[in-house]
Amino acid sequence: MSEVVVLQMIGLVVIGLGVSILLFIEARFVRVVGFVMIVLGLFSMTALGVPQMASLPPAEEKFDVANIKTANDMAAIGQKIFFSKGQCALCHSIGPSESARCPDLKGIGAKLTREFIYESLTQPQAYIYQDYRHEGPPKEYPARMPYINKNPIGLSNNEILSVIAFLQQMSGEPITVSPSEITQPTQTAAVIPVAHAQ
Amino acid sequence: MLNHGGHPRRIASTGQGRGSWLAGLLVFLAFAGAPLLGLAQDAAGQAGGVAYRDLPAVGSRNIVWVIAQLHLLLAGFVLGVPIFAWICEIVGWKTGEKRYDKLAKEFTKLLTSSYATTALFGGILLFMLIGFYPKLMSYLADIFFPSFVVYCILFLLETATLYLYWYGWDAMQEGGKKKLHLILGFFLNVFAFFIMIVPNSWATFQASPVVLAEGSDMARAWAATWNPTWWPVNIHRLIANVVLGGYICGAYAGIRYLSAKTAEEREHYDWMGYVGNFIGVFGLLPLPFAGYWLMREIYQYNQQMGITLMGGFLSWLFILQAMLIGVLFLGSNYYFWMGITHRIPGSEAKYRKPIMSMLVILLLCLGVWMTPHSLVASLEEARKMGGTHHPLLGVFGVMSAKMTVANLMILVTFMSFIMYWRAGKEETAGWAKVAKAIMSGVLGVAAIVVIVLGVWGYFVPAIIRINYFSVAQVLIVLFVMLTITPLTALLLRSAKTTTEMVWGKMPPRAGYALVLNAVMVILLMTLMGYARSSSRVHWHIYGVMRDSSQYAFSPALGYAAAFMSLCTFLFCMLVAFIFWVATMGDKAKAGESGGKGKLPGAMPAMAGGSQQLDEK
Repeated sequence: MSEVVVLQMIGLVVIGLGVSILLFIEARFVRVVGFVMIVLGLFSMTALGVPQMASLPPAEEKFDVANIKTANDMAAIGQKIFFSKGQCALCHSIGPSESARCPDLKGIGAKLTREFIYESLTQPQAYIYQDYRHEGPPKEYPARMPYINKNPIGLSNNEILSVIAFLQQMSGEPITVSPSEITQPTQTAAVIPVAHAQ
Repeated sequence: MLNHGGHPRRIASTGQGRGSWLAGLLVFLAFAGAPLLGLAQDAAGQAGGVAYRDLPAVGSRNIVWVIAQLHLLLAGFVLGVPIFAWICEIVGWKTGEKRYDKLAKEFTKLLTSSYATTALFGGILLFMLIGFYPKLMSYLADIFFPSFVVYCILFLLETATLYLYWYGWDAMQEGGKKKLHLILGFFLNVFAFFIMIVPNSWATFQASPVVLAEGSDMARAWAATWNPTWWPVNIHRLIANVVLGGYICGAYAGIRYLSAKTAEEREHYDWMGYVGNFIGVFGLLPLPFAGYWLMREIYQYNQQMGITLMGGFLSWLFILQAMLIGVLFLGSNYYFWMGITHRIPGSEAKYRKPIMSMLVILLLCLGVWMTPHSLVASLEEARKMGGTHHPLLGVFGVMSAKMTVANLMILVTFMSFIMYWRAGKEETAGWAKVAKAIMSGVLGVAAIVVIVLGVWGYFVPAIIRINYFSVAQVLIVLFVMLTITPLTALLLRSAKTTTEMVWGKMPPRAGYALVLNAVMVILLMTLMGYARSSSRVHWHIYGVMRDSSQYAFSPALGYAAAFMSLCTFLFCMLVAFIFWVATMGDKAKAGESGGKGKLPGAMPAMAGGSQQLDEK
């Protein structure tokens, strides 16, 4: 039995208990307690009725150099990072979206060079490229691009290269990032280390 | 959860009065009991100091969650009640109506027992945090030590002021002494405010840290304290505490009204329910604006955190929030409407149509507010939703629509209050017609402009909508309140009463409405506590200290809601216990007095009985 089902059963029991109190008990305070139980039970049941999404810590993609043989392998890792640890999809869409707070990344790998994308990720305020859509007036966005190589996102150099490979692949462009550029994780220095208590 | 890292509070107070034995017990339990619990230390901690400990079976986070939430709710109650009491005392002093003064006194009496209970939970929380999260607490103590000292001093001042305020109540009733008492009440609230904002700095630092690598201890502590979300949270919590105090007073009155046995009791608790609901609504109206400011600051500080809250995995949480706020608005308005139709004889027919119109507007607004839209946090959720946007009602799910309906609901609630205020009175001033025309015009134009800006918001870039349109909507609604309230007050100064208000005639469902409102407020506080804690995702201190424990994930809403409900229930029971303990002596006295044939004014009524009793 799943956790949600168990909680739903508990919720139903609480509501049932509350209804029973209201039906069979005269004491006013107890009746109010029953009423509160019904309200809380209904609230819990409603919360259990919406999609149940837990927020897990981002999975660390393992860069086993021996297993990364092609640029497509890198792009596959980059895709995972794009939707998880990199948090890119939080702000960016792939395809037009009027409600998006940040630029649409569809075809971005064809529009921008690899170096430009790298700079946009690691020095996002170095050059603000407003006319990215190449159509209509430049659009100003409320969001500010974070430093991807610093906390709280803190992608490593390997991870950034993989994301670039994914963006190029997604745009139908040849991937210019080579697996030979992947370094052993212990050698990467792109990430600002997490500050510890000491 | 729930910003558990930032609350080593209230322990200082346990050395005072009733709390002293509790502190001793706590210290004993903490030192003697911990080894018996078999606390599990994390393996990583064995070599380089313990980072985490766990409580087998229960889980350290779960127990900290419940204790922290109860402590925060009690703290909100303890800080909200003095504001409530002081406002009532001032009203009683200015109007000469003694029942307000008695209401204020009786609620102040609750502070002594609730203060000790808050301290008890603060002490338990502090021990748990030190035990379960030693590394995090060491880091926070290193940064915030100077504010710990300030906090202790504030607590001493607050305690001393509370004692003077409470024990000096009867002795400081007349003339200049009354003014001195009011000044004491003012300082009680000033110290309480600072007692609130100091721990707020610890909690908000976890979400939006400012860390200085160099500088003196004081400079580091000050920089960490004045972090981007500190003041928005301070203001939001201050207002929320007023709301909590008001609605809990209302709920208490509702319960006592339901169990009242005499006409005097019914009159009295009906009136108390009205006062509680009024103060709750008074705080509720500006609360969304404070929340909006907080969210703006969060977005300014870190876009990802803002989007995680509003458009990421927590976005469904805001649908639940809309539901709770909607029920709260409906409950508050319903109580106002019942007040008009039951307390003012003959008004039912007159006000039926406006009430129905307002009800329809509120329900429509609530429907829009609860419409989900950009809720995609992952491909899995997109699959569940059948696309990136809600297939049918996506157009109502955007912020432009939500801001518009939230402002309209505030306007409707404000008008309910104005309607209640004016009911049963006839304006006699020569300029009454002009004033009413101006008020109608201001309200109508404001509603139209709010809607126009909302619709226009669909066609402009997000930055224009956020920075200009939403702010304009908020300012327009504030303008309406700040214009119509003084105009109505001036108008009613010379008005004659056509129908006297009759207390004690409300149906039983009015009592349940008051209880429902209080439960909604408490649930909202627990929900938003979860939201603020979860917005830090897998960080103890966002971007600075990562949570590497087994509890680094944020649980899903269903699981979290079960804890919210548990905390709400436990808090309600605690408050009921505090009320029961605080009024136990009065009941005994009332029994004796009744036996000796004294006036019923000495009955156990919390707030001195009805006005007629005061006049006897």
